[in-house]
Amino acid sequence: MATKTSLQKVILLGDGGVGKSSLMNRYVTNKFDAHLFHTIGVEFLNKELEVDGHQVTLQIWDTAGQERFRSLRTPFYRGSDCCLLTFSVDDNQSFLNLSNWKKEFIYYADVKEPEKFPFVVLGNKLDVTERQVTLEEAQQWCQENGGYPYFETSAKDATNVAEAFEEAVRRVFASDERTDHLIPTDTVKLHRKPRSASSCCA
Amino acid sequence: MVHVYSCHPFSSQRIVQVEQEPGLVCCGGGALFVVVSGGCKVEAYSVEEEGCPLICRFPTMGTVKSIKYSKIGDYLVTIEEKNDATYLRAYTNWRFQVQSERFYSSGSVKYCVHLSAQAAERARVGVRLLGHLLRGASLRSGIQTEIIEIPLSERPGAVACCPITGDLLVACETTLVLFTLRRQNQESLIQSQHILHSTWRTSQQSPSQDDTSSSAVNVSILDFERSVLLHLPKFKPKQVALCGGYVAVQAEVEVLVLKLDASQENKTPEFSAPDPSHEDLLEDQAEFLIIPRHQELLGDRARDCDISVSIEKTGLEGRGQCTLSYVLFRRLTPDFFQGCSVEETQLHSLQLHPLFTSNQSVSEEEPACIFCYFSLPSTGYLYSLKGGIELLSTYQYPEKVLEAVLTDYLLHVITKGALQSFTVHCAAVAARIEDPYIDTTMKACPPSNMEVCALRSQLFIGLRSVCAFGHRVILLSTADSDTPEETERSTQRRGLSRKWTLSSPKEPSKVGHGWNLYVVDTVTPLALYQEMAEYSQRYAETNMQAQSLWHLLSEAHILLRASLLQRGAEEQIAKGGSAETQQTDPQKQRNHGELDEALRQNCAQLGDCFSRSSQECHLALPYYRMSGLSVTDIIARNRPFPSSPHSYGPGFLFFLKHYLLEETEQRLSQETADEVIDIFSQSEPSQLVSVCVSPSMVNISPARTLQILQHLEDSMGVSVTLTITMATMALHLGDLVQYAQLIGRHTEMALVYGFIEEPRLLVHGGGVRARPSVVTQQLITSMPGLLVAAMVGLHENNKVKLEQADQIFKELDCENCLLVDFWEAILMASSQEAVIQDLLFRLVSVYIDRLTNADTQPSSLQTTSRRRQLRNAEDLMNSCSHYGALYPWLTVLNPPYTSSSHNQEALHKLQSLLCGPSLSVDSIAPLLESLSKNTIWGLSLHLLCATRRGHYESSIEKLLDCCPQAIIAYANHHLQDNNMVFWWQKLLPELCNRTRASSDNSILLAALKETLVVVSSEMSPAEFLELIPDDATASYFLPYLLACSLRQLPP
Ligand SMILES: Nc1nc2c(ncn2[C@@H]2O[C@H](COP(=O)(O)OP(=O)(O)OP(=O)(O)O)[C@@H](O)[C@H]2O)c(=O)[nH]1
Ligand SMILES: [Mg+2]
Repeated sequence: MATKTSLQKVILLGDGGVGKSSLMNRYVTNKFDAHLFHTIGVEFLNKELEVDGHQVTLQIWDTAGQERFRSLRTPFYRGSDCCLLTFSVDDNQSFLNLSNWKKEFIYYADVKEPEKFPFVVLGNKLDVTERQVTLEEAQQWCQENGGYPYFETSAKDATNVAEAFEEAVRRVFASDERTDHLIPTDTVKLHRKPRSASSCCA
Repeated sequence: MVHVYSCHPFSSQRIVQVEQEPGLVCCGGGALFVVVSGGCKVEAYSVEEEGCPLICRFPTMGTVKSIKYSKIGDYLVTIEEKNDATYLRAYTNWRFQVQSERFYSSGSVKYCVHLSAQAAERARVGVRLLGHLLRGASLRSGIQTEIIEIPLSERPGAVACCPITGDLLVACETTLVLFTLRRQNQESLIQSQHILHSTWRTSQQSPSQDDTSSSAVNVSILDFERSVLLHLPKFKPKQVALCGGYVAVQAEVEVLVLKLDASQENKTPEFSAPDPSHEDLLEDQAEFLIIPRHQELLGDRARDCDISVSIEKTGLEGRGQCTLSYVLFRRLTPDFFQGCSVEETQLHSLQLHPLFTSNQSVSEEEPACIFCYFSLPSTGYLYSLKGGIELLSTYQYPEKVLEAVLTDYLLHVITKGALQSFTVHCAAVAARIEDPYIDTTMKACPPSNMEVCALRSQLFIGLRSVCAFGHRVILLSTADSDTPEETERSTQRRGLSRKWTLSSPKEPSKVGHGWNLYVVDTVTPLALYQEMAEYSQRYAETNMQAQSLWHLLSEAHILLRASLLQRGAEEQIAKGGSAETQQTDPQKQRNHGELDEALRQNCAQLGDCFSRSSQECHLALPYYRMSGLSVTDIIARNRPFPSSPHSYGPGFLFFLKHYLLEETEQRLSQETADEVIDIFSQSEPSQLVSVCVSPSMVNISPARTLQILQHLEDSMGVSVTLTITMATMALHLGDLVQYAQLIGRHTEMALVYGFIEEPRLLVHGGGVRARPSVVTQQLITSMPGLLVAAMVGLHENNKVKLEQADQIFKELDCENCLLVDFWEAILMASSQEAVIQDLLFRLVSVYIDRLTNADTQPSSLQTTSRRRQLRNAEDLMNSCSHYGALYPWLTVLNPPYTSSSHNQEALHKLQSLLCGPSLSVDSIAPLLESLSKNTIWGLSLHLLCATRRGHYESSIEKLLDCCPQAIIAYANHHLQDNNMVFWWQKLLPELCNRTRASSDNSILLAALKETLVVVSSEMSPAEFLELIPDDATASYFLPYLLACSLRQLPP
C-alpha cells in the first residue's frame, strides 16, 4: 500500500466577521449558522478530497480575525501551503486590510519567495445587497498584487465555496516543488535540515 | 538461567477493526490509539468494550513519527513532521471529539459511538501555543479537542510522560527538556468566561450557545510549563522515560538514569563541566575504532561515567533550585566474539515503572518503588532504583526480541513470530519496602533477585510492535513486504473474539490485508497463580527436593503479592471515594477472599517445600505461619509415607521447635502432642526436654512420655533438666513418691542450675501472663527455699521478669509471704539499682503493713496463719548489704517486744533497712506518716527517719520527751564529727532546762553528766564557761571545768 497522500495546509485570513469560519463550515459540513462566535485563536480540520485525480488531505486552518487574537494565530502561519485572503464585499475596510493580512502572513510564515507563494482572494457575503466593494476593484487588487485568483463567494448560499477551496488545492499543485509535499507511507526524508518550530513564538 | 514453565498467560484475543493500515500504535486510559500509516489522523478505539468500537477520529497537523499517551491529563503527545520540520504537540480533550459532533449535528443527546468516518472528521480542532492558555483559547475546552503546540529550539527525537504527574520529557539532539503539566482549575475557567461574553456579537446572542459554553465548566484544562533543561552534550538520546523525578535516557548502547530533586536552598545549580583533558582524550579515541568498555555504575558512582550533564532551570514558578543526582549508568558493548553485529546490540524498550505499596495513596505520594527496564535484542535488564539501586533481573531471550513492555505482573516481549511473557519480581521489592520486617520468623517473601522464568509463548506472524494497558497486550503485526499476502478482506472474521485453546499454537493469520491489530487479554494473576500451583503439584509428586518446585511456588507467590499490592492501591483510591460501596460489593469481596485463600495455600506449599529442604530450611517457619494451618495439619502434611525412607525434614523440625518454644495459648491434643514426642525422639532426642516443657504440650500422656524419657536417660546419661522433666511427668501421674525420688537425685544448687537452663520447668507463658508449672506448684509447699532460690536465679539470668515472678508467687501464695522472701532474696542477689530501689520500697511497705495490721489483729491469730519466713532480720543483716546493723540506741528503745515475733521481725527488718545505706528516706517518708507516733516502735522509726534527714534537734527533743534513757546512746552514735556542736548547742541546754524543771529525775541527771564530760573534753575553758547557765550551782560544774582546763595545760 504505497499510496501517496498529499497533506495541504490552507489558511484562512481576513478581518473578524468577514465569514472565514462560515466558509469553512459551509465547505466541510455544508451548513450555515447565522449566529456564530468570533473565532478565538486557531482551529483546523482535515478534509479528504480528490482534485484532478490527486488524493489530497486538505488541512483547513481557520484563524481569529480580531486584532486582539493576533498573538494566538500568528505562530501557526508557518508551514502553510496556501493562504486564502478573505474580505467581505459589504465591508470596505476588510477589503482595504487585505494588504496588511498579506504582509502579516508573509512575515510570520517566513515565506522565502513571497512572489511565488500561492494566495487566493475571496470576496465573501456575495448575497448581501449593499455592496461596498465592486468586483472590478477586487479584481484589480488581485492583478496588481501578483495575479491571484479571485472568487466571490457566499457562505450563506454556498456560492463558489467548493470552487474556491479546490482552486486553492490546484494552486498548490501548480506551485514549485510539489513533489516535496508528497508524504510517502513508509519512508521519511530527513536529509534537509529541519526547521525548528521555536522561532515562531515571539 | 531462565526457567521455562508451560503456563498460559493469555486468555483471549480480539482483532481491532481498523480500516487503514496502522502505522503507530499506543494505548492507555481504556483506549487504543492508532495512527493511520502515512495519514494525518489518529483513531481511538475502546479496548474495554466488546468488539473494540471506534471512539473517535481526529486529525493531526503533520505526519506522526511518535505518539505517547499520558493517563494523567488524558492527553496524547506526538512528534510530527511536515515539510521537513519537526513539531511537538499535545492533543488534549480528544474524547470530546465525539461530543462535539453532538453540538454540530441534530443535538441528539444519545451518545453515538459508531460514527461515520466522515462525521468523525468534520469536527474542528483548536490549536494554541504552549503558555497561551489564559488569553481565552481555553474557552472551547470541554467541547473541542485542542492541540497544544510546544515550540522547541532543537529537533525533538523522543518523548515520555510521567505516569504519576503527567509531566512531559522531551529528548532533543543534545538536551532533555522537562515540561510540567499545569491543570487549570474551574475558577479560572469561569473567570475567563467574560472573554467569551465579550466575544459574542451582542445582537446575535443565542441562549442555546450559552448552554454549550456552560457545559465546559467541569473540565480541567491542560497546559505545560517548560521547567528544566538538561544538557547532555555527548549523549545522543534515542529514548527517554520519566517517572516521579527519575529521568532515564537511552542512547545506542548506553542508559543513564538521573534523579531530579527540587531543593529549597538557593545553591548554584550543579554543573559537572566537562573536563577539557577528558574531552581531548575522547577526540583521540575517535580516530581509532575504540569500543567503549562495558560499564555498570550504580548510585552516586554513576557520576564517574563520561557523560556530563548540566542542569538549567527555566520555569518561572518556584524560586528553588533543582538538584541532579546520578542513579545508574549502564553501557553495553557489542560482543563481537559472540557473532553480534552492532545493530544487534542496540538498546530498546526503555521504561521506568512505578509501583505503589498498599499503604500509600497513589495520587499524592511518590511511589515506593521505581524500576528501570531496558533491553538488548538478546537480553533485558530490570533495575530497582529506590531503596538501594540494584540489578533485579536479567532476562535472557531465546530469540531476538524487537520490543518489550513491562507491566506490574509480567514482562511481555515480541519476536518476529511470537509473543512471550516472563515473570517480574517487582512486587517482591515493593513488599519489602512496604514491610521492613518481612524477612523474619513471622513473615517471608521470595527473594526479589531470584531467577526469572519464561511462560508459554504464543505464535503470531510478522509482529511489529507491542504495548500494554492493564491486563491487555496490544500487538501490531504486518506481513513481511517480501512475502505480500493476497489482499482479500475476509469480512466474516470481523468482530470475532475467540478463546485460545490453551496449548495449540496460534494459527497463521489469514487476514487478507497483511496487517492486524490484536488485543490480547492476559489471564488474571489469580488464574495464572492457579495454573502454576497445579503445575507445581506435578513437580511435588515427582521430586520433592526439586529446586524447580521452590522456584515455581516462589513465582506464584510473587504473582499473588503483586495482586495484593494492586488491591491495596485500589483500596486507597476507593478510600478517597465511597468506601461503603467498595465494601458491599460482593464480587469484590469474593475476589478478596479468593486472593487471601490463594496466598495461604501458596504459603502452605512453600512451607512444605522448605520443611523438606536442607537449604534455608528455616523458611518453613514463616511460610507455615502465613499459611494459617494448625500444627496438627502441618504435622499431617509432613508425615513420611510408610513406604518412603524419608524421615522428617530439617525445616519441619525447625518449625516445630520454634512453635513449641513460643508461648502460645494453643494446646495440642493428646494425640498430636504424643506424635510430637515421637517425632523428636526419632529425629532429635536431645530436644525432648524442651519439647516436653512447652505449654502447648500439656496434654501429652505422662506415662508414655516418662518411659521415653527414661530410655533417653539410659542412652544419653543423667542430666538435671531431664530429671526434672521426668519428675514433672511423675507429678502429672500423681506419683509423688517417684517425684520425690527423682528430685532427690540432685542437690538444690544443681536443681537451681537446671531451672535456669530450662526456665519453662518452672514458669509458663513468658509473654504477658506467667503461670506456674506443676513443679512450681509442688515446690511451693515442699521446698519453698528451692523455689525462691530458683526464681532468683531465673531473674538474675534474665529468664524471668520481676513482674512475672510476682505473678507466680501471688497465684500460689495467698499470704504473699513467699513473695516477700523472694523480694528479700532478690535484694541480696541483685546489682541493678532500679530493681533494688523498687524492692526496697515494696519491702518497706510490706513491713509497715505487717506492723500496722499487727496492731489491729489479735496476736494469736497472726502467728498460726503465717508461714515461717525463710530469712529473719538477723540473717538479712548478716548477708545483705542493704540491711544495716541496728544502731545501739534502738536496743535501748526496744526492750523485748510484747507483740508476736513475726512483728518483731518486721520491725527489725524495717529498722535495719533504715540503718542501711541504700534506702532512700525521702521515698518512703509518706509511708511512715501513717504510723503511730505513740508507740515506742513507731517513735523509733520516726526518729530513724528524722535522723537520716539530719533533723537532730527535733530528734533530741523527741527522745528526751519519750525515752530519755536512750539519749546518750543516740548522741554518742549520731553527734559525731560535724554534728558535735549539737552536744553543746542543743543537748546541754535541753538537759539543763529539763533537770532544772525536775531535779530529781535521775535519768536526766545521768544524761547531763555524760554530756558535760563530752562537752568539757571538746571545748576550751572559756567556751565552756560561756555555756554554764547563770543560775547554775558552781560546785556542780566545777569538776568538768577543771577537767577542761587541765586538758588545755601543756603537759
Ligand atoms: N449574509 C451572509 N452572512 C454571512 C456570510 N458568511 C458569514 N456570515 C455571517 O457573518 C458573521 C461572521 O461570520 P464568521 O464566519 O464568524 O466570521 P469570521 O471571519 O470567522 O470572524 P472571526 O472569527 O472573528 O475572524 C456571522 O454572523 C455569519 O453568519 C455570508 O456569506 N452571507
Ligand atoms: Mg471565525
